[in-house]
Amino acid sequence: MTVALRRRMFQYGVVVPFAIVLAFPFAWMAVTSLKPEGQVYEQSKTWTFSPTLENYGYLLHHTGYMRWIRNSCLVGLAVVLITLAIALPAGYALARLAGRVGRSLGVGIFLTYLVPPTLLFLPLSRVVSELHLGDRLWSLILVYPSFTVPFAIWLLMGFFKSIPQELEDAALIDGCSRLGALVRIVFPISAPGILTVVIFTFSLVVNEFVYAITFITSSANRTLTVGVPTDLIRGDLYNWPGIMAAILIPSIPMALVYNAFLNRFITGFTGGAFR
Amino acid sequence: MTDTRDEPAPALLSRREFLKKAGAGAAALGVAGATAPFSFAGPLRYKGRWLSGSLTALTWVHFVPSYDQWLDPWAKAWGEKNDVQVTIEHINNALLDTRAAAEVAAQSGHDLFFNLHPMAVYEDQVINHSSIIKEVEAKVGKYLPIAQQSTYNPRTKKYFAVSDSYVPDPVVWRHDLWNAVGESPATWDHVKAAAPKLKAMGHPIGIGQSQEIDSNMALIAFMMCFGSFIQNENNKPTLLTKNTIDAVKFMAEIARTGETNDIFSWNGNAAANNNYLYAGTASLIFNAISATRTPESGAAGGQYADDLWIWPIPAGPHGRIGLEHLMGCWSIWKFAKNRPAAERFLADLCIAGKDATIQSQLYNFPTFANAMPFKEIRKVAAADKHKPLGKYTILTTIAEKYTHNIGYPGTTNAAIDEIFQKYLIPQMFAQVSQGKLSAEDSVRHTNTAIKDIYAKWRKRNMLA
Repeated sequence: MTVALRRRMFQYGVVVPFAIVLAFPFAWMAVTSLKPEGQVYEQSKTWTFSPTLENYGYLLHHTGYMRWIRNSCLVGLAVVLITLAIALPAGYALARLAGRVGRSLGVGIFLTYLVPPTLLFLPLSRVVSELHLGDRLWSLILVYPSFTVPFAIWLLMGFFKSIPQELEDAALIDGCSRLGALVRIVFPISAPGILTVVIFTFSLVVNEFVYAITFITSSANRTLTVGVPTDLIRGDLYNWPGIMAAILIPSIPMALVYNAFLNRFITGFTGGAFR
Repeated sequence: MTDTRDEPAPALLSRREFLKKAGAGAAALGVAGATAPFSFAGPLRYKGRWLSGSLTALTWVHFVPSYDQWLDPWAKAWGEKNDVQVTIEHINNALLDTRAAAEVAAQSGHDLFFNLHPMAVYEDQVINHSSIIKEVEAKVGKYLPIAQQSTYNPRTKKYFAVSDSYVPDPVVWRHDLWNAVGESPATWDHVKAAAPKLKAMGHPIGIGQSQEIDSNMALIAFMMCFGSFIQNENNKPTLLTKNTIDAVKFMAEIARTGETNDIFSWNGNAAANNNYLYAGTASLIFNAISATRTPESGAAGGQYADDLWIWPIPAGPHGRIGLEHLMGCWSIWKFAKNRPAAERFLADLCIAGKDATIQSQLYNFPTFANAMPFKEIRKVAAADKHKPLGKYTILTTIAEKYTHNIGYPGTTNAAIDEIFQKYLIPQMFAQVSQGKLSAEDSVRHTNTAIKDIYAKWRKRNMLA
């Protein structure tokens, strides 16, 4: 057996079991989403069942599913824009602030990310109420940056630090303003970091539950994470096929986006690690 | 440093292009912001009609769907009759406490708030509901003792909620499985004897020891059958007794020999034991009759529907003392925007107790004596055609003889509510069942925590 073959066998030996374990939840979701509701609890029908698309039909025509997705996307996009608008200049400024002050500020900002929503939702309820944003998507757009911005600043700060100062100096010597150097030189080089922030922020927002359940009550304004457990669990009856279909649909595009930008994503996360 | 120089250079924006695109983005956000109340809030329900006000109520997604199918149109009709736009919102039962905490913190929210247990800790935040109760009593008879004990604070002389219904808590068991091992859950000794045999057959007992409401109810009721009570009739804590230690040891033995670790994993999910039954695994659970109604409807576990029997709580050394499974309690916040409409709505809902009981398929029992007297309920139960025939008639016996409030023999008060919401009792049992603490230590630790809670509420003058 050649060394190359052995190496390949070892690689596959590691990767294949991992792939199976990681793919299993998706396969299970797909299979369950195609089962008739009555057959979900029948152990004899685990793999042998009569497949149906009824659950998808129910989801699309008898629940507010498309509205929940639209709401999640609206909030997600708005929060991504706000996060970028704040985190890009803040991350850059902190990266270029030499010495202990910059480091301490960076760590301080990141620490705020660690305060859990389960502690913050009570005081934030008051804020939302005072601003008359209760049961409106704007409440989420206001609150979500409180945890997306610190993380994004911290991530971008590390990334900007990995960009040599000399590149900006060269741009300034060539006649660029500070903003011009940022827009023409720093941001384009930082695309993997910015992309990571976009994807990560969007994922965080779409997955968030505590604030969404606290600030939004009407079915029309629910986001996906709240709509699914509220409208697809009727008392003690879990509409498992519907729940699985509801989760599978958004997870496919998310998985594709992650895969499409995998290399940039990894670069974004490790950007500041090898300085 | 990661090398990005090999990648093609992205197209750069000119300053003009940058400003143009940023401007367009800002304009789009502005337009979205300006139209947000309309695009996000949904259409008006009574467009073109002048209304005297609106009323918002938050309630749970009922375990028997036919109840919600009755309540929502009933509320709409009530709104049309009273010229009030009524909005009833339903959320998962596990989220009600979180939502209540948020509304109190914000001092804003729904006019009417429903919960499955009396929210005694929020007594300061709600109105005194005594006038509503008096009005309903004049129409449909006396407020039942269980409701009185659950919603009235004798110290402050305040009704901190109105209970429109309560739910009996029978033991639901698979007759076919128990028959196979030659046992029935008549007493706790029988349960202990049958548990290992049932587990060996692949059908363990399903009494939870998790942080969820069903575990709370089942274990507190179980303790009472052993003469162990959290407090006495004067609302003084009485947990630290030999009876409590014996009860904890007894249940730990059932858990060890007749249950699986599943019972510790049901946190926040009151329907977990139901699903344990529907999947054909559990041989016995404590639950309201939704656990039999769902299989009867064929939605889940239909193949076992005819083998599901309901009985009163098994008898212990101290007798057969049970709890309500759920106590349906409505509260009107002090910060409610439309208090008169909320009071009117609540009174009318309680007066309609008979319809609610029937539409919930006997899940809800009315809390006012003549809304639907036990005799009438028994008749409806006897007419139920599901097998075994007549199985629901026992519900009225359970409701009349074996159903008590949380905190029995005292009243449901803020301390009891806090103990309930912190799941101290399931935790006390679980620590012993999982071998983390001895029964003596677990009870002692819980007792210390409970005493602190009582002291806190006494300091706030909410307890005698």
